[in-house]
Amino acid sequence: MMSGEEEENAAELKIGEEFLKAKCLMNCEVALILEHKYEQLQQMSDDPMNQVSQVFEKSLQYVKRFSRYKNPDAVRQVREILSRYQLAEFELCVLGNLCPETVEEAIAMVPSIKTKGRAHDDDAIERMLNDLSLIKKFE
Amino acid sequence: MFFEVELQRDVKINATNLDKPVSRRFILACLLDNLFKEKASEDHGYFLAVTRLKSIGKGNVMDESGNTVFTVVFTCRTFKPFPGEELQGVVRYISQHGVLLKCGPIRNAFLSAWKMSKYQYIPGKKPAFLNNELSKIEKGVVVCFLVLAVRWINASRDFEMLASVDADSLGPVSLPGSDELEL
Repeated sequence: MMSGEEEENAAELKIGEEFLKAKCLMNCEVALILEHKYEQLQQMSDDPMNQVSQVFEKSLQYVKRFSRYKNPDAVRQVREILSRYQLAEFELCVLGNLCPETVEEAIAMVPSIKTKGRAHDDDAIERMLNDLSLIKKFE
Repeated sequence: MFFEVELQRDVKINATNLDKPVSRRFILACLLDNLFKEKASEDHGYFLAVTRLKSIGKGNVMDESGNTVFTVVFTCRTFKPFPGEELQGVVRYISQHGVLLKCGPIRNAFLSAWKMSKYQYIPGKKPAFLNNELSKIEKGVVVCFLVLAVRWINASRDFEMLASVDADSLGPVSLPGSDELEL
């Protein structure tokens, strides 16, 4: 029943070396990319949905619905701001996707940011969340 | 989570297509076709788009018929869920045993009634799960859930998930929009 690696646990950033090093993408970033691709297909074909796989279609629906930021500048700012806080790519994207409003929520969503030895005290997390909420406010 | 990962695939070109020099374009077209049919892998998740070609190896003749294999290395955008990750999904089916959520390309994330311990099943024409604070999980509702486990189904090349909402910050959320693609 379990996936290949029994000890996989994203809450502890145990996602395998390959995915720890890989670039992660927030839903809002994927939405911009897939929407652009869909627009290109619309220009080339009368029925763009026939040109894409079900995986593409379902993924596009998903990221359009679950993107917290729609404006491309806002999307760029979110990544820029979160990149200042020494987060792993995976953690950065979970926070950008779920947009916690309080420090407690952020820790519940991404428990690994409070792992022993990491430099994220509550004040730093609060500053990060405040910066994110400002982007949302002015989007 | 969405990733950009490096992948390697062997692209087999039949000898009938080797009467003239094989172009990079033809190899790439075969690669894209193969990925479309492969759909997903257990190691890397669902394939969304090839983003960058890194290399195409020299062709190796496989057998007497002259079929040739080219090793292609490229980066690809994928979607792969992990246990311990928090995701959002949409309720697509409800029974007294629990709820089926759809999440991106994944059709089946099962949220058992056992993992909604604060919710009670309310049967009827529009069945739902309801808690003491009148928070409702019904068809079409968006739910933030924790991935407890992930299973790869080789026959259909799909992932399935076990989900839980038994923690703070999990459960139904109100997000605007519907699940239909706005064209």
